Amino acid sequence: MKFLLPALGALIILSLLVGAAGLGVPDWLILWQIRTPRTALAVLVGAGLGLSGAVLQGALRNPLADPGLLGIGGCAALGAIIVFYWGISIQMPAALPAGAMLGAAGGCAVLLALSARALSGPSLILAGVALSALASAFIALALSLAPNPFALAEITFWLMGGLEDRTLLQLAVAAPPIAAGCILLLSLGRRLDALSLGEATAATLGFPVARTLVLASLGVTLAVGAGAAVAGGIGFVGLVVPHLLRPFTGQRPGAVLLPSLAGGAALLLAADLLARAAPLLLPLAGEPRLGVLTALLGAPFLVRIARRAIP
Amino acid sequence: MVSLNLCSDQLLVLLAPEQVRALDFLARDPELSFVAAQAAHLPVVRADAEAVLNLHPDLVIAGRYGAQTTVSLLRARGLHVVQLDEPQDFDGIEKLVAQVADLLGVPQRGSALVAKMQARLAALSPSNGAPHPRGRAVFYEAGGWTAGPGSLADAALHAAGWQNAGTGGRMGLEKLLAEKPDLLVSDTAPSKPSMAQNLAWHPALHGLARKTVPPALLICGGPFSVAAAEILSH
Repeated sequence: MKFLLPALGALIILSLLVGAAGLGVPDWLILWQIRTPRTALAVLVGAGLGLSGAVLQGALRNPLADPGLLGIGGCAALGAIIVFYWGISIQMPAALPAGAMLGAAGGCAVLLALSARALSGPSLILAGVALSALASAFIALALSLAPNPFALAEITFWLMGGLEDRTLLQLAVAAPPIAAGCILLLSLGRRLDALSLGEATAATLGFPVARTLVLASLGVTLAVGAGAAVAGGIGFVGLVVPHLLRPFTGQRPGAVLLPSLAGGAALLLAADLLARAAPLLLPLAGEPRLGVLTALLGAPFLVRIARRAIP
Repeated sequence: MVSLNLCSDQLLVLLAPEQVRALDFLARDPELSFVAAQAAHLPVVRADAEAVLNLHPDLVIAGRYGAQTTVSLLRARGLHVVQLDEPQDFDGIEKLVAQVADLLGVPQRGSALVAKMQARLAALSPSNGAPHPRGRAVFYEAGGWTAGPGSLADAALHAAGWQNAGTGGRMGLEKLLAEKPDLLVSDTAPSKPSMAQNLAWHPALHGLARKTVPPALLICGGPFSVAAAEILSH
């Protein structure tokens, strides 16, 4: 796992040197006002997604668990869109991540209620798919009722995820909840290890499963909710990263948390660099959307994992 | 007379408000419509065939591209529907005003509007003979799209004596800053929340000289569009 941090460091430096304005050290204005927020947000959002995936897979003991597949990302987007198009976030920028986190919390609450009714394994993932579909429907409804007649068109773009042209203010507003969520999620390592020995064993060790699930939901709400508010819909990072890293860390759920944090950051930053490099290398009019790139990587991965996980 | 399109709404109100049976609902939006104040007192309708048929209009005016299915339904029911083209420059606006004025039977009001617009355009012409004495400008629209050749915004820039550095394609913030335009033109800050329009107000752009144009002047071509060129020439 020693390669992860140097790789992340190299990606961060590269990220400050690559952009539409060309390769090399850019103007101070571009470096500080455009590439710094973009790079920092890619690291934070990716870290939150990778870690959330690792914790959800451990807590639900389900290799398919991922904040996007479970519908938490969709619910966060719904919350962000309602807050944005009703103008609440113009007066109060922090309302946007707050709305997204409220949406994510709602999604988590539904999933917790379902898992308390003994819904687990592939069934819980299917419930997440249903939750996603419901969130999409409500997003369409919220946009049809929004005061801005162009809302529906511009949000299609946003939902595909992206980090281009973000501001330092957006970074300042999103960073604290994402960081808090990551710290909470990292602290769950021993609980997840205990849970891997079975619910009864974990309970006798002082880690009842219900409490672990609530803490995990709280952490995911903070990290994924605030991330979705600035980056839109970015899927599959939480699914792919822990699976890629387990061959190096072993199967113990607690051991994969910290590497998933760094790995998620590195993966999303690499994907964002690819998006930026694409118009420089290929005859493209603009950058491909970030969520499109992660889906291109993640969707085949999902099929592979599903083939192994569902007999 | 029923109008199904924000652009024909405005011409109708300017030329013959007394003939209006209904306007498109967007005509009342002060950010999109130059005639929002007058339209507030006129009936509006959504581009919906049932609602329009119910009004029994003599003539329906629609845009070339919007509400296609509604237009074909209305035509199938025997209504007279005229579809207007979108003008791309001030010559196009003159032709459009004349066309609509003829349709409404008020050609003299049309020529009066056109004459007024021509006088205001003539007052703008840069006097020192250089084609672009003011420098290079980028007209930055929602979502980072720039106004390119063949657009009304391009015509307004030229009429005001600017060279248009935009291409009509999308230009990210980094590209825009690298372009180093002498002037950045954007819509006035939106009062309704819009993700795409926030881009023009990114802090990295605060150092550029900027003029803002109310979107209502250029969304549709009309005699009022000359006001955009006047803003750009001040």
